[in-house]
Amino acid sequence: MADSNAPKPSSSVKLVLLGEAAVGKSSLVLRFVNNDFQENKEPTIGAAFLTQKCNLPTRTIKFEIWDTAGQERFASLAPMYYRNAQAALVVYDLTKPTSLIKAKHWVAELQRQASPGIVIALVGNKLDLTNDEAGAGGDAEDVGAEESGDARKISTEEAKTYAEEEGLLFFETSAKTGYHVTEVFTAIANAIPETSLKTARGPGAAHAASRTEEQRVNLNGPRDSNAKETCVC
Amino acid sequence: MESLSDTLWDIVICGTGLQQSLLALALSRSGKKILHIDPNEFYGSAEAAFSLQDAESWAHRVSTGSGGLFAFASITKPEGAVDLSSSRAYSLALAPKLIHARSTLLSRLVSSRAYRQVEFLAVGSFYIFRPPQDTQNPTLVRIPSTREEVFSTTDVSSKAKRQLMKFLKFVLDSEASPQLETWQPYADTPLTGFLQQEFNMDAELQMYIITFTLSLEGNISTKDGLAVIRRHLSSMGLYGPGFAAIYPKWGGLSEITQISCRAGAVGGAVYMLGTGIKEMETVENEVKLQLTSGDTVRTRMLVRASDSASGQTGINRLVAVISSPLSSMFQSIVEGAPRPAVAVIAFPAGSLSTPAGRASEHPVYLSAHSSDTGECPVGQSVLYLTTLSTPDAKAVLERALDIFICPTSGDEAPQVLYQLQYEQRTGPDTFEVDGPIFTFPAPSPSLSFDDSTLVPVREAWKRVMGDAAVYAEYLVFDDRDVALDDNDVYDTW
Ligand SMILES: Nc1nc2c(ncn2[C@@H]2O[C@H](COP(=O)(O)OP(=O)(O)O)[C@@H](O)[C@H]2O)c(=O)[nH]1
Ligand SMILES: [Mg+2]
Repeated sequence: MADSNAPKPSSSVKLVLLGEAAVGKSSLVLRFVNNDFQENKEPTIGAAFLTQKCNLPTRTIKFEIWDTAGQERFASLAPMYYRNAQAALVVYDLTKPTSLIKAKHWVAELQRQASPGIVIALVGNKLDLTNDEAGAGGDAEDVGAEESGDARKISTEEAKTYAEEEGLLFFETSAKTGYHVTEVFTAIANAIPETSLKTARGPGAAHAASRTEEQRVNLNGPRDSNAKETCVC
Repeated sequence: MESLSDTLWDIVICGTGLQQSLLALALSRSGKKILHIDPNEFYGSAEAAFSLQDAESWAHRVSTGSGGLFAFASITKPEGAVDLSSSRAYSLALAPKLIHARSTLLSRLVSSRAYRQVEFLAVGSFYIFRPPQDTQNPTLVRIPSTREEVFSTTDVSSKAKRQLMKFLKFVLDSEASPQLETWQPYADTPLTGFLQQEFNMDAELQMYIITFTLSLEGNISTKDGLAVIRRHLSSMGLYGPGFAAIYPKWGGLSEITQISCRAGAVGGAVYMLGTGIKEMETVENEVKLQLTSGDTVRTRMLVRASDSASGQTGINRLVAVISSPLSSMFQSIVEGAPRPAVAVIAFPAGSLSTPAGRASEHPVYLSAHSSDTGECPVGQSVLYLTTLSTPDAKAVLERALDIFICPTSGDEAPQVLYQLQYEQRTGPDTFEVDGPIFTFPAPSPSLSFDDSTLVPVREAWKRVMGDAAVYAEYLVFDDRDVALDDNDVYDTW
């Protein structure tokens, strides 16, 4: 696995997942972080925070992942999650047309409100429910649950064209089979400009930049945990 | 899904300032039914951080009189300030406070695991402004803050060094005998007098020491002053070499409010921005609230913050974005120290004069933030200038800014790209309990985080938890994240 001899520069990247409820956001994270899939996942409440490292040839990226709930009632949470985020994964379910409409809303909101320079990936999930060779994962029995055998409602072409117009990364995935899941995160890691590490120049260049660890003050450091002072606060 | 009004809430929290947000964090694993609202469209209340666009609408609201404790906000953008980046490349903090390493806030953030989501940066050097003397230009002198630095500095005489050394040693033991007996007679008198009488310090040396207290009045008492300096010294090196205080990236306390609210949301609290309380009525042990959203809700407890000004003097603030990275101010001075992102410059009382020729009555503190804070783009810096409100305060702050950016040696002067000015009034500094209604004090305008801010938070938590309140469990949580350990990284190539 990771080559531990040569310490590579390591930086944290805050990533937020957005999309309609039940499109598979939490499942994608679970696949990426634990390489696992649960058939009937409990819906996310509020949001969940997870981390995962991703090793690139020249550096290590530590993803700090915010998985949000799709059914947010008052649209008051998302801004808190995408604030200062360097990357966003906007997910839709390619068997459900309304979910792409919702995804487009999220993309627009990110472009309007998030950090300038945020890397956005558009992800069509549940590819295993289609007849595509790639996503089927060889488990035809399972896949054929849908009567037609192909539940795809959003063509690759349509979503891809949209993604190109908006300058988004684009993937079709299956959290269930794991198809293309790691690739999404790797593509994001690669898309975060390396120049934005420490040597970034020019106004705006480093605003949504990944952060180097050297400057970080580590609160888990030497501090004696049971300070003697008696405190009533 | 249950509607807002069908639920009997355990607690409604109004406002997302630091105290309300920390309370949401403290209750995030309690299983209580929590509705957290804020009349503003942004998080953070008086501790918010703004993009330029947010700042604009905030300033507009404040100047039309609906800014609570804030007043007289104005924004100026000099003609031709072409270097200003897009609005969201900035994050201007309303509460750019330093947090001392010894602060209980940090141990609470650690024990609750919330600290993992904040990036903390080191606060570096403290400088003092020396007004021009005779033919000399004005200068900035770096204040030595450790014995090693006192030893090596060339800015003070060897006599002054001895005095400083003696004082630093005294402070560290100031709670023990015989030091205690030495300062107690001076406890409530100004620290400067004590320094002069007991340590023979001249006015300049006194000023060095007062600067560390960040006292807005400039005449802090011996008792309070010694406590603050002791905190500073004992914080030194706690989280790494060369710094005593830290600063949360992306806008100071604003970031703490947001991670706390996030924790609240993860715990299931319902969040509504842009929603305030229109009317309320206490019926038996419940509060009935009519929200500005039109909903009516019932709750066992309401927690809010006071936003009515008391008679006390507030502060004036000037926030300036300038076109220089000020690189020389943000250098680590100790081997292995993280690069500081914040530097503090004190302009002692009397060191500045207004256009009308009056000397400044109180000190001015300038907190310089590098782009590492995420508050401005690379190549620029944000300056936060603060002084106690007086009729001259605005002019004095502008003067301090002018002097600060004035080129020292033929360099090109940095340009001021953007200025936000406002007044912040102070409110009552005690919390109030009126049956089921708990009111936090108004946020203090102090420049460093004061642990007393945390007292009402724990008090409110205790009231919500009732018999289930166990202090040992207050803000002590396990990590929620399902992270693999460090060896389990994805190799993606
Ligand atoms: N067939 C299939 N089902 C999936 C996939 N990803 C998620 N699901 C299912 O879709 C439902 C919603 O998933 P979840 O991850 O909770 O969606 P979220 O609300 O977006 O977080 C769950 O029942 C999952 O098991 C996928 O790639 N293929
Ligand atoms: Mg989910």
